[in-house]
Amino acid sequence: MTRNTPSARTVFRFVAVVAGALVLASCSEAPLDTLGPDLAGPEARDIGWFMTWMLWICYGVFFAVLGITLYSWRKFRIKTDEYEEGDWPEQIHGNTTAELAWTAAPAITLAVVAVFTLGLHASLNSNDENAIELIVGDEQVAWEPEVVVIGQQWWWEYQYHFGDVDLVAQRVENLPTTGPIITTATQMVIPVGEEVELEVTSRDVIHSYWIPSLNGKRDAVPGRQSAPWKLQADEPGVYFGQCTEFCGLSHARMRMQVIALPMAEFQDWVTSQMQGVALGDADQAYVDALVAGETPAPENSMQRGIATFRSKCASCHLMDNVADDLFSPEEVRKQLVAGVAPNLTHFSSRTTFAGGIRNVYDPETLEFNANELRIWLQDPSAVKANYVEPASDGDVRMRGMPNLGLSQIEIDDLVGLLESAGEKPSEQIIRETGVE
Amino acid sequence: MAIIEDPLAIGAGDDASQTVARPLGDLTRPQISGSWKDWLSTVDHKKIGIMYGAAAMFFFVIGGSEALLIRLQLATPNGTVLSPDVYNQVFTMHGVTMIFLVAMPMAAAFANYLLPLQIGARDVAFPRLNALSFWVFLFGGLFLNSAWLLGGGADGGWFNYAPNSTVTFSPSHGIDFYALGLQITGIASLVSAINLITTVLNMRPKGMSMFRMPIFTWMNLVVQFLLLFAVPVISVALFELTFDRLFDANFFNTEAGADPLLWQHLFWIFGHPEVYILILPSFGIVSEVIPVFSRKPIFGYSFMVFSGVAIGFMGWGVWAHHMFVSGIGPISVAAFSLSTMFIAVPTGVKILNWLATIWGGRLRFTTAMLFAVGLISMFTIGGLSGVTHSIAPADTQQTDTYYIVAHFHYVVFGGTLLGFFSGFYFWWPKMFGYMLNERVGKMNFWLQIVGFNLTFGPMHILGLQGMSRRIDSYDKGFGFDLWNLVATVGAFILAAGIAIFFVNIAISHRQWKAAGRPNPGPDPWDARSLEWMTASPTPEHNFDEEIVVESLDEFWHRKYGYDEDHKVVRIATSEEVAQDGSNTNVHLPSPSYFPFVLSLGFPIIGYGLIFSLWLCIPGAALVVYGMVGWIFEHPDDPNAAHGHDEDHDDHDPDAIEAGDVTEAGDAIEAGDTGELVGAGQTTETEA
Repeated sequence: MTRNTPSARTVFRFVAVVAGALVLASCSEAPLDTLGPDLAGPEARDIGWFMTWMLWICYGVFFAVLGITLYSWRKFRIKTDEYEEGDWPEQIHGNTTAELAWTAAPAITLAVVAVFTLGLHASLNSNDENAIELIVGDEQVAWEPEVVVIGQQWWWEYQYHFGDVDLVAQRVENLPTTGPIITTATQMVIPVGEEVELEVTSRDVIHSYWIPSLNGKRDAVPGRQSAPWKLQADEPGVYFGQCTEFCGLSHARMRMQVIALPMAEFQDWVTSQMQGVALGDADQAYVDALVAGETPAPENSMQRGIATFRSKCASCHLMDNVADDLFSPEEVRKQLVAGVAPNLTHFSSRTTFAGGIRNVYDPETLEFNANELRIWLQDPSAVKANYVEPASDGDVRMRGMPNLGLSQIEIDDLVGLLESAGEKPSEQIIRETGVE
Repeated sequence: MAIIEDPLAIGAGDDASQTVARPLGDLTRPQISGSWKDWLSTVDHKKIGIMYGAAAMFFFVIGGSEALLIRLQLATPNGTVLSPDVYNQVFTMHGVTMIFLVAMPMAAAFANYLLPLQIGARDVAFPRLNALSFWVFLFGGLFLNSAWLLGGGADGGWFNYAPNSTVTFSPSHGIDFYALGLQITGIASLVSAINLITTVLNMRPKGMSMFRMPIFTWMNLVVQFLLLFAVPVISVALFELTFDRLFDANFFNTEAGADPLLWQHLFWIFGHPEVYILILPSFGIVSEVIPVFSRKPIFGYSFMVFSGVAIGFMGWGVWAHHMFVSGIGPISVAAFSLSTMFIAVPTGVKILNWLATIWGGRLRFTTAMLFAVGLISMFTIGGLSGVTHSIAPADTQQTDTYYIVAHFHYVVFGGTLLGFFSGFYFWWPKMFGYMLNERVGKMNFWLQIVGFNLTFGPMHILGLQGMSRRIDSYDKGFGFDLWNLVATVGAFILAAGIAIFFVNIAISHRQWKAAGRPNPGPDPWDARSLEWMTASPTPEHNFDEEIVVESLDEFWHRKYGYDEDHKVVRIATSEEVAQDGSNTNVHLPSPSYFPFVLSLGFPIIGYGLIFSLWLCIPGAALVVYGMVGWIFEHPDDPNAAHGHDEDHDDHDPDAIEAGDVTEAGDAIEAGDTGELVGAGQTTETEA
């Protein structure tokens, strides 16, 4: 028995370790998993099924190759260190039949795979005509679920257009900004069991929108709406995603979630998103006075927060019913390369912020995560690397949120305002959003 | 400056009276060999090959250090070893260095050293051009890496998508170094491709038809054609990017109406043939090593050649599989998905033919053979994961994740690099005149294989579990922690394995000296092809006599024949067949400093474009001076290399004399084909 011969036992152990590791891996928590039994999207399940088959075929081919190699090692290896004179095997130069066979066999196998591939490909690229009845504002609309997904460094914006707008043909900057639309950020809310068409694009560099448990990814390319993609979630819940096209400094910190709600809850969500921030009477009067140009004194934390928001945040962030009179897209384009900052009207209806990397609510206590928000407002660059220093070539536009030099009181007031901006999501949604 | 009369007239060689003193001043060719001047001015393909190899190894250590930094950063969640900005530079430079400054030049090292030898030639078709391509590569690589010292490395990823690569989004100079550096190294690749294609097509000996060339030669020939057509595409893309970044062009400016996918198409039309450029040389190496250590010819020589050529052709039709999710539309996706699937067929043929070569052979597991057999399995893994990527719907989940990172490391490390190590151990005695230690070599191999699989195996799992690539850190709670830690441990084991290779060189050299420098002989492995038919290390002039080839594996067939029962019998020993290098009456291509001088101009132009346009002037001047000096330099210094002038009568009539011009003015058959022969100038040589 020569040294270094891998015995059958060794090979078996190796296989067992690999298999065991793979099993182990699928058991641990993996919210971005592309395989496994927990995929909620029919597309992801179809892909996963196909992939599982392919992996087994691959294991088979690999272990056959490895097996032949190890067997040859064992059987044909010379017993001495050097060759003995005259010890020659049969000098076979080839075997055309065999070679043709092992050219044809993989080709035929791949042709079969190709047929299945084309089938799956066609199904992934089809779009069914599914309109759902929704009450948007005061009107009943038949809405074909379709969301414009826009990436910019380093967060995602979503636009829902319930009116009659051709989202494929229009460039993003030409889409209507008033009327029956919802603009939100980071978390896309969709109705359960419905196929939602996505028009994915970008305002700066190329990003990629990926929710693994629902479907594959689609690049967000600036200047063009890529061929429509789609998502569907068959179970209510929170589905995690990650930007998957290198987009610069905080690519690793550009995340998103899709939240699937049962139809009735989706309707409630739409209704609440169509409204501005709900304010108490006194606060509403305060806002009205500010809008009218008066300068009333703030009487409580909420009103101070509103004032701070209007003076420090409104030049980039839109908050309906609090600072929309101050909002000007041209002004934002002067300050930010992407030209847009997240719409904060319904901040607290979301469960993550800062590009999907921090929790708005503590997943365990279900409380509003004021502390996390304070850290962010204190110094966003410390949480998420960005480019907010003035550029040297005269272009002062920023990429990301700068440190505004807010005082502790200003921060506390803003936190209070943001907590009131939007309806708190359900317990289940908050718990399922466990992001560290 | 010298008086040069009639520089373009083709002389008959008898104008010894027209002497010109030191026409090239300090750039007169050196007459002494072995010094640093020798290396700087050499046009010897073997020395150039060795320099390519040494430079590639140097860059390998740089790229490997970058890899270890990446692994340290990703070993734990929310790592703090590298800031996001530095991480982006490190992973970009790791990729660029490994592909352009390690894998491609290392393949060039083997091709340069071996191709002329395998076809029985004296040198390549254009020796000075060969030197040029090395120096241009070296300076391009140094220029690119000098970014680290001048504001930071490129940080857009090795494929550097626009618009992220434009100035708005990548304001530092790093990407300028990337764009200019790769344009410079692109010159090297193109020049080399032209040179080697001409060499292989024109300089084979009598009887060596194309189908009697070794597989290594064939694979490299295919690679040169791939380079010839692919490198211009990336050069165009980089040129456009340079103009966007430095001179406000709008090739990639989407706001001005540019198509944002233009960069991707241009890059990947280069990028896909590029990966076949990376793997085919190693396929060639392994196709030489396995038959030797199986004592059988390669199984299915024709299929091996045809599959290599097929891969070369088919490689042009699959590029958009890198763009399956870029929004190119479902019909394009379907077409490229299918074409990508079918390119697996010729590759599969090779794997099976290698297995069939081993099957039934007499296997001797030297280190070279271990690496070669290792390649078969490791490349199979990489190839199979590649097949899963070809399924476009599945790729929408896999692309841009660590599953892809796993794939390409298995094919490039497990394929290309293992092939190179096999080649080192195999050809070391021929190149350097001593054997590498086999025991240490085996340690080298096993550490590498274990470390490599520990590093990249888990990445398949990480990718399928959703870990995006090019992220500088990841959070807890995504399930990435364990396998990232394993991968980091594996990376250090792998690094140790590679370090052992360098240790092996030192140990082996020391052992060789201690044993009194025993010569391994021309043919330590009982090999098959012509490069083994010379003394070791290869004599400067390669072969003493022209070889007339009668079959594939010509050298083997001179040692062995068949008896009536078709059993192998020895006809002659290696020493009897091999040429001993004793013919010193050989006229060699003359050395020249001008390739070095010319090449020096390119990085200076590069620095000029980035920092101050005035610098471009001295840079361009150097390039022009290099060209002019080159043109006016007598390509064939009659006093060089063998120390006697035209009028001597101990002329060996059988020796091939490169640079010879017959009385009738017939073209020379080797060496300086196509270059101007100056008018009978002789130089007054320095002592």
